[in-house]
Amino acid sequence: MTALLEARGIAKTYPGGTVANNGVDLSIRAGEVHAVVGENGAGKSTLMKILFGIEQPDGGELLLDGKPVHFAGAKAAINAGIGMVFQHFSLVPSFSVYENVVMGSEPKAGLRFDRKRAIAEVRALSEKFRLPVDPLPSVASIPVGQQQRVEILKALYRDARILILDEPTAVLAPQEVEELFVAVRSLVAQGRTVIFIAHKLPEVLEISDSITVMRAGKTVAQVKARDVTEQSLANLMVGREVTLKVDRAVTDKSTVRLEVAGLSVNHENGTTACADIDLRLRTGEIVGLVGVEGNGQQEFMETIAGHRAALRGSAMLDGVDLLDLPVLKRRQAGLANIPQDRIAEGLAVGASLAENMAATRLSDGGFVRHGLLDRKAMKANAAALIDKFAIRAAGPDAAAGTLSGGNMQKVVVARELSEDPKVLLVSQPTRGVDLGATQFIWKTITEARDKGAAVLLSSADLSELMALSDRFLVFYHGEIVAALENDESVTPEALGAFMLGLERQTPEQIRAVSL
Amino acid sequence: MSSTRSNMWKAARRETARALTALVMALLVAFIIVLITSKSPVETFGTLLSGPMTSKRTIGLWIDDVAKLTMTGLAFSLVFQARQFSMGVQGQVYMGGLFSALVALSPIGPTAIGMPAAVLAGMAAGACYGFIPGYAKARLGANEIVSSLMLNYIAVNLVTYLVREPLVAAPGLLSTANFPPNTIFPTLIDRTRIDLGLILALISVAVTWFALYRTSWGLKLRLVGHNARFAEYAGIKANFIMVSAMTASGALGGLLGAMFVQGQAYGKLLVQFEGNLAFEGILIAIVARNRPLAVPVVALFYGYLRQGALIMGIRTDVPTEVIAVVQAIIILLVASSFKFGGGRLLARLKPAKPATATGAGA
Repeated sequence: MTALLEARGIAKTYPGGTVANNGVDLSIRAGEVHAVVGENGAGKSTLMKILFGIEQPDGGELLLDGKPVHFAGAKAAINAGIGMVFQHFSLVPSFSVYENVVMGSEPKAGLRFDRKRAIAEVRALSEKFRLPVDPLPSVASIPVGQQQRVEILKALYRDARILILDEPTAVLAPQEVEELFVAVRSLVAQGRTVIFIAHKLPEVLEISDSITVMRAGKTVAQVKARDVTEQSLANLMVGREVTLKVDRAVTDKSTVRLEVAGLSVNHENGTTACADIDLRLRTGEIVGLVGVEGNGQQEFMETIAGHRAALRGSAMLDGVDLLDLPVLKRRQAGLANIPQDRIAEGLAVGASLAENMAATRLSDGGFVRHGLLDRKAMKANAAALIDKFAIRAAGPDAAAGTLSGGNMQKVVVARELSEDPKVLLVSQPTRGVDLGATQFIWKTITEARDKGAAVLLSSADLSELMALSDRFLVFYHGEIVAALENDESVTPEALGAFMLGLERQTPEQIRAVSL
Repeated sequence: MSSTRSNMWKAARRETARALTALVMALLVAFIIVLITSKSPVETFGTLLSGPMTSKRTIGLWIDDVAKLTMTGLAFSLVFQARQFSMGVQGQVYMGGLFSALVALSPIGPTAIGMPAAVLAGMAAGACYGFIPGYAKARLGANEIVSSLMLNYIAVNLVTYLVREPLVAAPGLLSTANFPPNTIFPTLIDRTRIDLGLILALISVAVTWFALYRTSWGLKLRLVGHNARFAEYAGIKANFIMVSAMTASGALGGLLGAMFVQGQAYGKLLVQFEGNLAFEGILIAIVARNRPLAVPVVALFYGYLRQGALIMGIRTDVPTEVIAVVQAIIILLVASSFKFGGGRLLARLKPAKPATATGAGA
């Protein structure tokens, strides 16, 4: 059986000398879900851009239905029946769902945009492929999971036979992932082909038929999903044995480092984000904040970090109320913060690594003397951190924006941990980060814990929380509804019941563990 | 680190090539316009191209312009680096000119400290005038574009009023009395307009560069410009940086005002003395990519073109306004970051370089 879409020996070198693809082979059969996995920087995205006509290969050839093809641009690829859903959506937020779907190839009645027909067509399409979404509301008003469906519908509306999904699960909650998979299966059942780029191996094994593994710009293996395990796939990706387990703390947890009492926070629009949160955080432990996104844990973290005002309450770090202090003073008191969005908050992507790594310490004597920058010290600091954290970068002068996602995150982690913080706030430390870097970041956080840092961890990835936390605090509608020690008895299902508000502990049970 | 340095040079060369290409393309368009509008297009275009070099006097006019364009280019670069779009340089120039005139014409004027005192008064006035839109933005959320533009009108018209009424030298004139000679900048080259202002401009370039790239204030300013949210997260007081950037830029604008009124060109305060030069700083900052060290280079080229156009307007049948078209084309070309046609072809002809350590984004 010939492949529907085949890439042979694809090579791509970016201006500047970065070799993104160097002999990539890919063979996709009709009607399958084909996953492409690999670490950040393995060249997956470049390959997909070549398949979609956005980038032109320097070498190799593409075959569609066994015939050589050349896509001069995305338009040519779309006409050939290829659709792509990017990780960052390209939707017009203020337009309605159906307008977004048909935009560019609207059904016409004479010169007029035939809205009725557009709505009907979008509705029919969404039913046919089990992608339920209401065509009428504006895209801005629907959740991310539905926005993704709109993107998929957009491609299907243009009759895509082959659908490329670039890390589709990165932005989704666990339930939404399930729904996406239902849709993917129905697409395949109706004769479409799906190329699925992913990081999370359990998902890859669940949804795909074949898997192509890429490493350092090359195809290293093409396997059947049923023939591999999570561990063997991870080893293929990284090229060496990887351990997916982390050692639990055996540290002294007697000293209370951070004591939060009665903390209440409002959203910008005046509604409650979280109310009357009490918790104690001890040295040498990691406390995981569990909860579906939007249940107040993020706002709680931002308030401790100093980016949001508290309504009332206190957060005492070694006898000082952090809430009274500006951000800089909180940092000087021993607080460090790995924010959830590294590009929006954690870095200045246009500035150099040396500048990024010194940015939080421009008021102490380390890098600044009499108002002048000590550029030697800044560079030495950056070079040392690049070395220690195995950050792949051209050097201290490289702009942060030239790094891959995993390496950017390492820059943030490196800077925040460089001063042995007393309290470390961590939000989504490994979102969109590849396996090798994830492993590294986990290890770094646990090392900080072993050195006596008190860590508050918030993550959308339940497996991450379960791997790292000593205790769980479950947030639901801005309250802590459960507090559990992390031992064998705690299962994802049990946490899920608290996360969805199906169960809650008594206040006594909660206080017994949260304090 | 040699690789990053060579990268820096590469980037600098690329930017220079880009700017020069923009210049050539703009000149081509200018030539076409001259061809359409002039009866003797070749001579007219020749005047545009060679005008500034015709005499010692015109060279002086050109270099004097370069000094002033450098100042306004610096002032805009500084606020643009902090990603504040304050358009207030014009107003700062008028306020700076006004206050240095007030000091020069006061009893302090004829004393030994007359000249520096007048310059400092101009800078202080400009700084205050730059501070206002910054403070209004930090405290009240007022859009700095709107407030700074409105402040420009106030300054221009205030100076016009003061010069015509209370400060006028004699009824009917549009200027104050001449400043005491000791407050006027000495010439660097006899019988030209090249004066102390050029040196002040070059010092300003060095100081601005130093402040931006060698002080912690400058790094904070650039970080705020790169990503204000990140700056807040890192504990940098973004509001303070924003206001101080606009204030410092205002001081540069005020200095330019002093250079105008205390320079060889005038030696007195008069209405509309700035001749719409301040806003040209936007173009210079854009072409120089807000890099202080590139500003005087851009000003050198652009000042030449500007003088050429003025001379063309005087000596030929084509109006000076043609140069506004050229200016617009340069802005369009540079701002749109055009690529050279055939660049991709060239890259393909070259042998591929060996892989570097940096990974491609996945």
